[in-house]
Amino acid sequence: MAAPVVIKKEKVDDPRPSASADAGEGQTEAEIERRMIELMGEFPKGINDKILETDMPNVDKKIKVAILNRLLSQEKVNIFRAAVTKELFWCLKQQPTSKLKGVDSEEKIVMRIIEEAGNKGIWNRDIRTKSSLNQTTLNKILKALEGKKLIKSVSSVSAAKKKVYMLFNLQPDRSVTGGSWYSDNEFESELVDVLNQQCYRILQQKAEGAKQKPLEGPLIVRNASFLSSKEICQIISDLKIVKFNLTVEDIETILDTLVYDGKIEMSATTDGYSDGQVKTYRTVEKLLSSAGIVRIPCGVCPVIKMCGTVGAVQPKNCVYYDQWLD
Amino acid sequence: MPPFTLGHFSQVKKALAVMIQHNLVKFEASERNNNIAEYSIIHHNVYCLLRYPKYLYMIKRIYGTSEEILLEILLNLGQASASNVIFQSANRLKEANDDSEISDPSALHQSFLKLAQDNFIIRCPKLADNASMQKVPTLVVEEKEKFTVPHLEIGPIAKLLKENATQLGEHSDSEVIWRVNHERFDVELRNVILVNAAARRVDSTAGELYHLILKLWRECSNPDSPTTNALSFNVIKDAVRKNEGSSPVLLEHFEQYLRVLYEDTSSLITKVGDAGGGQFILNYSIVFENLACATLDSIVLERFGSKALRLFRLTRIQKFMEQDQMQNIAMIPAKEAKMFTYKLLEHNFLQIKELKKGTSNFAPVKSFILFHVDLPQQVARTALEASYKGLFNAMVRQMHDLTDNKRLLDKHARLETLLESLRGEGLPEDELAYLSDSMTAAEKSLVARIHSMNDHLTLGQTQADDTILILESYLKFSSMT
Repeated sequence: MAAPVVIKKEKVDDPRPSASADAGEGQTEAEIERRMIELMGEFPKGINDKILETDMPNVDKKIKVAILNRLLSQEKVNIFRAAVTKELFWCLKQQPTSKLKGVDSEEKIVMRIIEEAGNKGIWNRDIRTKSSLNQTTLNKILKALEGKKLIKSVSSVSAAKKKVYMLFNLQPDRSVTGGSWYSDNEFESELVDVLNQQCYRILQQKAEGAKQKPLEGPLIVRNASFLSSKEICQIISDLKIVKFNLTVEDIETILDTLVYDGKIEMSATTDGYSDGQVKTYRTVEKLLSSAGIVRIPCGVCPVIKMCGTVGAVQPKNCVYYDQWLD
Repeated sequence: MPPFTLGHFSQVKKALAVMIQHNLVKFEASERNNNIAEYSIIHHNVYCLLRYPKYLYMIKRIYGTSEEILLEILLNLGQASASNVIFQSANRLKEANDDSEISDPSALHQSFLKLAQDNFIIRCPKLADNASMQKVPTLVVEEKEKFTVPHLEIGPIAKLLKENATQLGEHSDSEVIWRVNHERFDVELRNVILVNAAARRVDSTAGELYHLILKLWRECSNPDSPTTNALSFNVIKDAVRKNEGSSPVLLEHFEQYLRVLYEDTSSLITKVGDAGGGQFILNYSIVFENLACATLDSIVLERFGSKALRLFRLTRIQKFMEQDQMQNIAMIPAKEAKMFTYKLLEHNFLQIKELKKGTSNFAPVKSFILFHVDLPQQVARTALEASYKGLFNAMVRQMHDLTDNKRLLDKHARLETLLESLRGEGLPEDELAYLSDSMTAAEKSLVARIHSMNDHLTLGQTQADDTILILESYLKFSSMT
């Protein structure tokens, strides 16, 4: 008489508890999506097919693909192709996607083009070429985007009528606004002149100070009258003449104009502290106080070419001579 | 213009003779026919007539009154023998000192020797040996004899002076004739400008050192070459020590002063080597280029303003510039920059060079328009011509003022001499006052005004001459290299 044998089955520890929940049916798509986003968060450089396989082997490939595509269209993830292995990677998009809600695809294209232009901005016509949209459509889109405060137009300093578009929160590049010397696209010549005189005065004072100690010898006097561009920048900034921060390059452009005025000279020396060359400046006297010829009226006469022994302009009855001789 | 009539042939001959006597005209045998002489003007000497007052002032400053008198007499005579010059100078000094003492001609002889030694006066060429055989004589002078003073006999001169003679008569060295050496004075005038530049650049002690070094260079170099010979550091140091006039500051900081001068960008001294502690030369072409640039800068500044000056210097330093670059680097607003650029272009300070870009055959070819400064050809020559014109105008004006008021000035001059002679004879003051009232106060003030205008114009001519000297020297030295 054989009794029925019951074969005991031991419960085996399942290493993958999530997989034990059914092959795809029990797991909702929302959960899979959430898991994918979690994974993408864990691997900020991107997840590829292999990682997805290891993580959720039982999920059907078709479902994975569908979810990924949905995420892509919602602009939550980006897709990349690895350079070497040519594998596809998906990673989370960094920017909040909320701002692009309610924006249709054409506007998205235009936004992307403007974004790429960075802080130099892009001209209307260039957007048209890149997006191949027609003029009226493009204008409508640009107006809408400006209204939503996503982009702004900045007029370039080189051509006053030309406007470039860039993202709203970007600072326009120097080449567009013209740099520190332009405000509202106008060259601030008075500011430049004021800084010019100020720098010259500073250097003059240094030279005067150096001359107070003639007993140490002319070489010491000369070397003591040098100032480096950094030091001059510091002094000018301390005087608080300008509201914005002056960089050393700005001051160097002003000092260059003084060199071209013939009032100062520059010598580039190597400084023990910094690498590269340091530019130092000092005032110099001109070789002549003034040319002899300009001390007589003829040297500065505006009608010198018409002057002769006959005619309306003659030295005999020249008004400039009359004034000069009185 | 009415045709010039020269009058009688003998007047022409006399005129030529006078001009030759004063070194303004020279003659030589014509190429086509050896028996005819051709006469030509020595331009430089004619121009230097303007500089005679400067010569006198320089000689007085360097030496003293007796040398000044010697030079004045020689300038008046044009060409003269040493004894003649000494005799006339002694006479002049006698008159000036009111016949009280008779100056010793041997002191004047020493002064004459000094002038010859420093090359301020030079021997005139004399008749060549075969001159008597030629219709048109040739004149030669030997290199080594140019500055040697022959033996003079002072005794007869002194005797004639005591006798109040007006003419020297026969004397031993009447064949040896001297004239002023204009080239040497040019060098001296240039040195004044250079020393002033050194003093402005550093300080007056540097000017003193530079003056000394210039003297050393002159003694060791050929005056016509564009660079001097090299002086070594030790030589200069010795000279500074031995010089009695060296200030204590110079002696103490001599090395520093030398270094500041040769490191200066104006190239007043150029270091060419390290032997003997350092070898130093003066490169005339570079220095005068810098001086000419300073002159031109000053002209641009006074005529057009400081912004135009900035543009001019910028273009000159950077060689070639585009309009946009110019306004950006010079930091001048676009409109003003364009206006000044075109003004400078109009007056020849800037030139345009066009470079085509693009090689398309169809489309209109765009080109780069570059501005540059053509220093030796355009700018310096234009400025020099303008300076000549200015100088000429000042002279014309001066002549005009004098001739217009000639009658009044003559009357004033006559009155003055009359008053002087009467005062000498002891006429009482009230009678002199009565006489001097023959000219009204208005007339007298007018005369005073004319005199001051005259002085003003003379000063102006002197200053214009300074500019001309710098520009001419620059053109001369730049064409040598």
